[in-house]
Amino acid sequence: MNFGFRSRSCRVIQDSSPAAAAAMAATQEEEEEREGLKNEEKCCWGNMPLELLREVLMRIESSENNWPLRKNVVACGGVCRSWREIVKEIVRTPEVSGIITFPISVKQPGPRESLLRCFIKRNRSMQTYHLYLNLTQALADDGKFLLAARKCRRTTCTDYIISLNADDMSKGSSTYIGKLRSNFLGTKFVIYDGLPPHAGAKISKSRSTRLVGSKQVSPRVPAGSYPVAHISYELNVLGSRGPRRMQCIMDAIPSSAVEPGGVAPTQTEFHPGNYDSFPSLPFFRSKSSRIEKFLSNSLPSGQRDGPLVLKNKSPRWHEQLQCWCLNFHGRVTVASVKNFQLVASPASGQPARPEHEKVILQFGKVGKDVFTMDYRYPISVFQAFAICLSSFDTKIACE
Amino acid sequence: MSKSPEKKLVTLKSSDKEEFVVEESIAVTSETIKNIIEDCGLELIPLPNVDGKTLAKVIEYCTKHSTGSNDDSKFDDECLDTKQLSVLVDMLLAANYLNIKSLFEKVCTKIADRIKDMSVEEVREVFKIENDFTPEEEKKIRDEHAWAHE
Repeated sequence: MNFGFRSRSCRVIQDSSPAAAAAMAATQEEEEEREGLKNEEKCCWGNMPLELLREVLMRIESSENNWPLRKNVVACGGVCRSWREIVKEIVRTPEVSGIITFPISVKQPGPRESLLRCFIKRNRSMQTYHLYLNLTQALADDGKFLLAARKCRRTTCTDYIISLNADDMSKGSSTYIGKLRSNFLGTKFVIYDGLPPHAGAKISKSRSTRLVGSKQVSPRVPAGSYPVAHISYELNVLGSRGPRRMQCIMDAIPSSAVEPGGVAPTQTEFHPGNYDSFPSLPFFRSKSSRIEKFLSNSLPSGQRDGPLVLKNKSPRWHEQLQCWCLNFHGRVTVASVKNFQLVASPASGQPARPEHEKVILQFGKVGKDVFTMDYRYPISVFQAFAICLSSFDTKIACE
Repeated sequence: MSKSPEKKLVTLKSSDKEEFVVEESIAVTSETIKNIIEDCGLELIPLPNVDGKTLAKVIEYCTKHSTGSNDDSKFDDECLDTKQLSVLVDMLLAANYLNIKSLFEKVCTKIADRIKDMSVEEVREVFKIENDFTPEEEKKIRDEHAWAHE
């Protein structure tokens, strides 16, 4: 299904070969048949009870599981309000189904049971990165486009703008998703979400967090910058001869999310509307670390178990091969200091549990400008992509 | 071969007063009709929600279906292979009202397959659906659509 306009990547090529002529003739036939259909007795859907419409839409949803045909499900959600309501109700989040459907899926936690496979293509001359969903078992295939990022170097920092639209990367655009900002040295990064990660989230007014007053009410803003993660890179004890140490503090995800029965915040719409309807968040005075202060701003009120911290899995030194090795299960084929696997770190004072063994994000090189990115619950495609971008940018241990 | 015993017949009356005489064993493929016969013992069953044209097709389906022969699937495709979407929709409504699960399933899938091939505008036109999105919503949906087709 389509709106009747060409997709952005379509090009019309003049081809006078017999095969092309036959194809043209076939298309003409189809066109005529379509016209014929339109002129025939049009049936009125008005008689159709919503329960029956639902049955039809359910069959479309369950049969179009993979991209590119999944677009038909999205199209059904664009016919009218009642169709949209039903489709939105039928389509389940990637966390449950393992399938990306509507664009909002890129903001929702990945599947719990398995890694979702994606790949990134870097365009050095344009300073852009394109993220695709893998469609096959191959390391990189045609892919389904998900997100694009463009690097913008500034005097004191670098920004990576992340958008649903590769052709429109402006912050004011309706397709703006968020950005990654690096510090001057390229050792610390912040991921900013264009939407509040949950009710009561604070917008970032400046780089430093200022806590004002005893009650904060979320401002009514259409798009903003909500810090949702802090990434830092450090040399390990071996200096630049060893793999670097990565740490990602996921401010908007509680550490309990990875425990059995845990949940992670899930955005459901791009335009939540009137933020005034969200409850105000009481201000918690805290003399402890910056993280705690940040925590009281970022997590839903009532969550006091600290943000999720992701750390990179330590590679093992392979004496015979004389190199650092990680088991990427075939998804990474070129050695690179940028390659990493992130796992959840137990909260301070807590013992390590089986859930801290699961790889939550894996990133690595497979070609000159091609990298695979596999992620799962509780992070989203957007967060995963931003973390990977930081790996491109950081200069730690690169020689 | 011995002659088969006389089979009980019932008459089905469509909304436009057309009458169809069918064997009861075939008619009860419809759960609705089965319940009416069991509860009321009628021999003339009015079906005010199904017109004659549609009822004829439904009876054809039930007849072929109840013999249990292997030609079933071939016939089903022929019976439902109509270019007119309105016929399929009428059959869906009838299969729902008459509670014939297998027919409902098949027609549902056929309609789903047809919709998949249509553009959004075509769907609205053929089904006479009004585009009731606000201009802001429409913009959001177009963005969504463009992304899905990227």
